[in-house]
Amino acid sequence: MQTSDWQPVLLLLVLVVAAVVLLHAVSVALRAIRAPLHTGPFTGGLEPREHPLSRFHVRWYPVTMVFLAFDMEMLFMYPWTKVVSAIGTAAVVEMFLFLGILLAGVGYAWREGAFRWS
Amino acid sequence: MADSAPLWAVFVLPVLLLVVALVTAGFDAVLTAGARGGRAGSVREAAVRAADPAREVLRQLVQQPRRTRASDVALARIGAALLPVAAMLAAVVLPLGFRSVSDLPEGIVWFNAMEALAWAAVWLAGWGPNSTLSLIGGYRFLAQGLAYELPHMLAITTAALGAESLRVGQVVDAQDGLWFALWMPAAFGIYLLSAMAMAFWGPFDQPAGRDVAGGAAAELSGADRVLFLGGRWLLLVVAAAFSVPLFLGGGYGPWLPGWLWTVLKTGAVLAFLVWVRRRVPTVRMERYVELGWVVLTPLAIVQALVVAVVVLNR
Amino acid sequence: MELRRRLLRTAVSRPGVLLAVSPGTTRERLAVEAELVRRGWPCVSAPAEADLLVVLGGHHAEESDGDAGSDWAANLWHAIPAPKARVPVRDAGQVAEALDRGLAELRRGEPPQEPHQEDDAHSHRGEHGEHGDHQHGDHGQHEQHGDHGDHGDHGHNDNSATHEGHEPGPHEGHNGHVDHDGEDRGHEGHNGGHSGDDANSGHDVHSGDDGHSGHHMHNGDDTHSGHHMPGNGDTHGGHDGHAGHDMHGAHGGHAGHDMGVVAGLPMADRADDRDGLRLDRLHVPLGPALADWPAGLILRVALQGDIVQQVSAEAEGSASPYPPFWDEPWLRALSGERVSHGEAARRLCAAHLDSLGRFFAVTGWTDMAARFRHVRDRALAGADAAELRGLLRPLIRRAERSRTLRWLTAGLGPLTAEHARHLGVTGPALVADGDVHARMRVWLGAAWRGADECDDTEALDTAQVIGPRGRVDGPVPASLALLDALPGLLEGAEFAGARIIVASLDPDLDELAHVPAVGMAHG
Repeated sequence: MQTSDWQPVLLLLVLVVAAVVLLHAVSVALRAIRAPLHTGPFTGGLEPREHPLSRFHVRWYPVTMVFLAFDMEMLFMYPWTKVVSAIGTAAVVEMFLFLGILLAGVGYAWREGAFRWS
Repeated sequence: MADSAPLWAVFVLPVLLLVVALVTAGFDAVLTAGARGGRAGSVREAAVRAADPAREVLRQLVQQPRRTRASDVALARIGAALLPVAAMLAAVVLPLGFRSVSDLPEGIVWFNAMEALAWAAVWLAGWGPNSTLSLIGGYRFLAQGLAYELPHMLAITTAALGAESLRVGQVVDAQDGLWFALWMPAAFGIYLLSAMAMAFWGPFDQPAGRDVAGGAAAELSGADRVLFLGGRWLLLVVAAAFSVPLFLGGGYGPWLPGWLWTVLKTGAVLAFLVWVRRRVPTVRMERYVELGWVVLTPLAIVQALVVAVVVLNR
Repeated sequence: MELRRRLLRTAVSRPGVLLAVSPGTTRERLAVEAELVRRGWPCVSAPAEADLLVVLGGHHAEESDGDAGSDWAANLWHAIPAPKARVPVRDAGQVAEALDRGLAELRRGEPPQEPHQEDDAHSHRGEHGEHGDHQHGDHGQHEQHGDHGDHGDHGHNDNSATHEGHEPGPHEGHNGHVDHDGEDRGHEGHNGGHSGDDANSGHDVHSGDDGHSGHHMHNGDDTHSGHHMPGNGDTHGGHDGHAGHDMHGAHGGHAGHDMGVVAGLPMADRADDRDGLRLDRLHVPLGPALADWPAGLILRVALQGDIVQQVSAEAEGSASPYPPFWDEPWLRALSGERVSHGEAARRLCAAHLDSLGRFFAVTGWTDMAARFRHVRDRALAGADAAELRGLLRPLIRRAERSRTLRWLTAGLGPLTAEHARHLGVTGPALVADGDVHARMRVWLGAAWRGADECDDTEALDTAQVIGPRGRVDGPVPASLALLDALPGLLEGAEFAGARIIVASLDPDLDELAHVPAVGMAHG
């Protein structure tokens, strides 16, 4: 059962990757000039003074932390959906207590201005 | 009961998605041209405008390959190709009528996992070319992800909760009588927002915005550009189509066959999104994050709580 | 082959057009934009997606590319992948012809030729094409190497090219299409070059491979190394074209030395940010060829992430013999000509609609931008007041009522009337006395009034010479004050916000580029 479920997925993956390769091949076949054009990055016509790759100032860093907490929580929430009525009220109470605690964290982060960075 | 389609459906699915994506993009192009130059004078003119996206694909394909200085070609190329691949793979759980290519037991999680690959795809495509504007575009999508992803996950979990199953077929079956969209409107609304956000399209197109000359796509040309921007349309189509089994009753409906209902509902959702795009400016993440976390997340949780209580008392 | 040729022809039949707009060419730009809409050709925002470069302003196209002023236009041209064509547009009346010529050139599918221009940059291109052709096989291999991170070969050839070509002659040639800043920049980061060099020791393997040097001549990178004086020879290794890949391979290198020079450019250095952190800072010139950007504006910004940290605004340095298009009626009235009030109102309306089009394009409301531009084109084509009112009413209502727009633009770029007066601002930005949303509303109102009065035949009152950007008869052009206001408003804004602020002031550099005849501005 399990294998037959994934078989089409695997086949589709192969197919789509093949299609991507094919598209590149078509492009190679059609292209006007095959030697690549080497050029600078575009910012309006003038050249930058440094390489653009840099340690980007990620001002939303605190948000990533809050997000991680919730993302972990989702791991529990997916299986939880399947057993709510089997376990009953306790399942709902526990899950939403957990979510409530996380929301309190969100509230704190909000008060601290984590969601405002401009 | 939904069942899996025969194996040849694997070959039909990509073609079908491509057709829907091209039609949607063509529709969008007709409206765009109409706004700029006045309504099309004749059907023929409208048809020419509708063919613009297809011609655009050809135009890109004949272009000379292009490398920016000290760029990481492989990275950008992988990023660009990842987008359509992820969209296609996410689509295996989409039922046409009541049959999907593979009705995985954890279909909803699978969809979520594939759609999250867009984070990597856009960032890679933005980082690879070693260009300021594309770098900004790539990072914009990460910020966008942080804003939309959580309400989005809560919304699809809510639909799973309503059916008490992660199998998409069973979620559809649970809507035999009443569509989820009707009794979980908040989750549905949030889902539609995040469908546009994950495809960084419409009001959420900042990662590929015109103000950064195409953002993550700024330096892409040729097949890479086709894959990236085409992948974006595919992602939009798949995300919109997934709202049908999740919230709009899948193939259920009177008189017409199931597959036709799916197509009609998907078309309606896409038309709605194309319309929304015209009514709203681009939502910048430095403003949206706050809304996402302070309003949408609690709203989604309350919605989940309501659904959980209903499920308990069923 | 026949099929391939036909596909190529079909593919370029709807070319992506990139506009290179110099100050003083507003009339031509408007004509080109209207013609592109008529043809349904997309107006693209980056060279990567362009086929056809339309260079506006005859005075540029005639000069050689070595001239600093048109450097950026040459850069744009070199950044466009083939098939490509370049056409100059000197006159608003020849737009259709020029575009036809460009299309014909694209369709011929020949390697790009520039009939009227014997510039240095171009001769290099030709060379490049030749080399590209007979080295094609080799090149494929290069790409393969690329993916394995083994780029020594490219780099070394760069070196040999540089060493051989140290005579002044070739350098002059390169000057043509490389930003002059590059020279300073290269020197700054030079000391760090050695470290990059070590990482690259593998490049000797391909040293015999001279054939590639020609190919790299074209590359902006080796130009940099070329500018360093002899005797620095051993550091060149650090400059070579593809050392960037080694960088990615070994990220330790990245973290280790910030001043490492890779492919002729240093990496970003750190600087204090507003929150007291030390972070990488990039120096980026924005413009003049960005889409929806005031023509000719160059902002040299220091970016940390996407935060604008420092800004200096400058105008692309070309002078225009023509009076600024948007101020023309008032200037003519000042010089004693009889100009009807309606004509000035129409011009004012169109100017604001143009600005609004940019503003909405930059805020990402593409549909609104398209609609405003449509009305602008109608206004300039001479539509009567009733038609303009009919077209404008729903748009203005929608823009004013949009809560999303208010939410997204509120608080951006506040400019109080007091501060604006202090800066010498006299136009809508002074009236608005507020943020970008307030300025947009002033434009909406003024555009509406302009549309209302555009059939008025009374003579224009010369006591009232407020043009679209401010006083036309002031001691300095109104847009200069707007330029002065920019740095203060942009510092600390993030990139998207900065673009919206620029669009909300929309300085018209035509006013600066114009060298007025004596007696014209009697301010």
